Amino acid sequence: MLTGTRGLALAALASGLVVLGVQTALFEGRPAAAFEAGAIARVLVETQAGRVWLVRFGFLAVLAAFLLLRLSVERRADWRAARGEAVLLGVAALAPLAAAGHAAAVEPGTARAIALDGLHVVGAGVWVGGLLPLALLLRAAATEEGADARPYAVLAARRFSRTALGAILLLAVTGVLLAITHVGSVAGFVGTSYGRLLSTKLGLLVLALALAALNRSVLLARLSGDGPTVGRPAMRRLSGFVLVEGALALAILAIVAALSVTPPARHEAAAWPFGVRLSFAALDGATAEATRAFIGSQVGVIGLVALIAGVVLRAWRLPLVAAALAALGAGAGLALPPLAIDAYPTTYLRPSVPYHATGIAAGASLYQEGCARCHGARGAGDGPDGRALPRPPADLRAPHTAQHTAGDLFWWLTNGIPAAGMPEFGSRLTEDQRWELINFLRALSAGYAARGMGPEVEPDRRRLVAPDFAFAVGPTPPRALKDYRGRIVLLVLYGLPGSRARMSQLAQREGTLATLGVEVIAVPIDADPDAIRHLGADPRVLFPIVTEGAEAIVAAYRLFAVAPHVELLVDRRGYIRSIGRSAGEAADLDALLAAVQQLNDEKAGPEAAPEEHVH
Amino acid sequence: MRAWKAVLLINLALVVGAGWGYAFWGLRAARLERELARARAEASSGVEREWTVDGVVRAVFPELGVLVLTHGDIPGFMPAMTMGFRTASPKIQDAVSVGDAVRFTLRGVPPNVAVTTIEKIK
Repeated sequence: MLTGTRGLALAALASGLVVLGVQTALFEGRPAAAFEAGAIARVLVETQAGRVWLVRFGFLAVLAAFLLLRLSVERRADWRAARGEAVLLGVAALAPLAAAGHAAAVEPGTARAIALDGLHVVGAGVWVGGLLPLALLLRAAATEEGADARPYAVLAARRFSRTALGAILLLAVTGVLLAITHVGSVAGFVGTSYGRLLSTKLGLLVLALALAALNRSVLLARLSGDGPTVGRPAMRRLSGFVLVEGALALAILAIVAALSVTPPARHEAAAWPFGVRLSFAALDGATAEATRAFIGSQVGVIGLVALIAGVVLRAWRLPLVAAALAALGAGAGLALPPLAIDAYPTTYLRPSVPYHATGIAAGASLYQEGCARCHGARGAGDGPDGRALPRPPADLRAPHTAQHTAGDLFWWLTNGIPAAGMPEFGSRLTEDQRWELINFLRALSAGYAARGMGPEVEPDRRRLVAPDFAFAVGPTPPRALKDYRGRIVLLVLYGLPGSRARMSQLAQREGTLATLGVEVIAVPIDADPDAIRHLGADPRVLFPIVTEGAEAIVAAYRLFAVAPHVELLVDRRGYIRSIGRSAGEAADLDALLAAVQQLNDEKAGPEAAPEEHVH
Repeated sequence: MRAWKAVLLINLALVVGAGWGYAFWGLRAARLERELARARAEASSGVEREWTVDGVVRAVFPELGVLVLTHGDIPGFMPAMTMGFRTASPKIQDAVSVGDAVRFTLRGVPPNVAVTTIEKIK
């Protein structure tokens, strides 16, 4: 057995060298680099994968050397020390693998992901690594001459069964957490190559576990004794089954190798393979449907309880499980249909264009060119050409966007809705243009919802995301609203001469505002490139006046408020929290200061940035 | 050899090796980093320096001899911001007015610097 292990350790060292060569060739982009000392040294020192390889190879070399030592292990303490050291070195050689894989690229929570991945890898090592020795021991014990080994084989099989159960539990827990980290959504699971590989892996795992459960519940109990079905025949059969389990485990490891070079589903565009999806958003405003879904869910819960009871109560197992399956089926049949929403391959596609003022402004002009004729100039679905259509054009301001993902809108824009008379724009607009249009629609609908927002801050109401924008003051380098995350921004859209009084007031109190943590950014509504000169020298205005980028900012933010003078308060996380509309006259500054104070009093909470994209 | 002695030796060797590696490489890297930071700080203090920067005139205080400028990044001195700078001569602040886009030269021993030349750009 020890000879075999030594051989495996040497094989691991040799394959490690091959892996290093392949990695160098890939890194340098030419196969010959695999044999150049300089290129290999660069990979080892300069890449994370190289450093991890170095650590692992070092531990592996120490492990191999340790296994080659001829140590006497007759005494118990020696035996334990030798076995413990082998396990320790094995874990040390295995676990750093996590720091070279996808887990190391997880942001945020890198350390957590690496720790989970390390546990997962060690768990897999315990399970898979034990299978081959166990199979060999059982086979040896099952032969005529193996009578001496039989008690050991029985003991080893029982102990491995317990250990492997623990390892599998560890694998299940860490595996689920890692899947949440790397996949994150049902769409990612069914709609990406990473997700499909993962489901294949799970399928093989279920097979392996079914086999293991059979071994554990049937064969394990028959190992001791002697007879036609117990003792040696059972041992031989178990040995074969364990080998099959090992083969399945190897297949799983092959899939893991493929997974490690596939980008995680979270970073891939998922293609939804079904015609419907399930969402609670379908129940909004539909009372009867909601009742039906509720009753269905309760029937399902009863089914679940019956299933658990069936597993626990052996005497009643068959009728209970049958009833449980019937109840679960009925519950699903009742609850699921009301939750179904039409879905398309692009439903979970994420916009490739960020929610940015420039894109929204571009989307607005595309809208006026291509959509306003039917959907109306302001998106109310009241365009002149819309009346002749088989179905009235949708009111794009309506707050039903929860039922439609950005990907749904993308699908309709790309392919049209023939039954409703909506034409396709896939051949007329580029992909980026379609996303710009969708970002405009998001801003339009958000702005319509924001018409009730006033100059007071409503506590904990963070819904209106401030679209990012880039701006410059004169010849200074451009900055972005996003650079101000963590500070409060007072975005002022002003027009001269109407706003002069209010601008003077803000300029005089800029010190007070700065003390309260407020950065003022002023945007001339007429996008005047000479705005600073026209504001003049008295009083002195020192906060940034946007001279480049004003058109896009005004086009996007006019969707949230239309007035001669608009003041929007953007909180530390990038949400618009209050909107002041006026003619630009000087007014009591206390209201503004009170709103700022309220934002300052809010608990910091987790600094979660608003989503960059429409969802 | 007794196995537990061998195990003890191996683990001791690993710990000593890691410790020696840290003492040799880790501490040396940390010292180099500190020296580099000190050298950088020395290079940027006590020596007269000069920068040419773009900006916008935001306010003029003729009686103080100060120009308030919204300016770009001044490498090694300050990031982009709006602030007041002394001018080397009254001619400089007389040559510009609020709203002008300018390219100016800043010269002096930080933080004691002044605008020495200024020209309008467009």
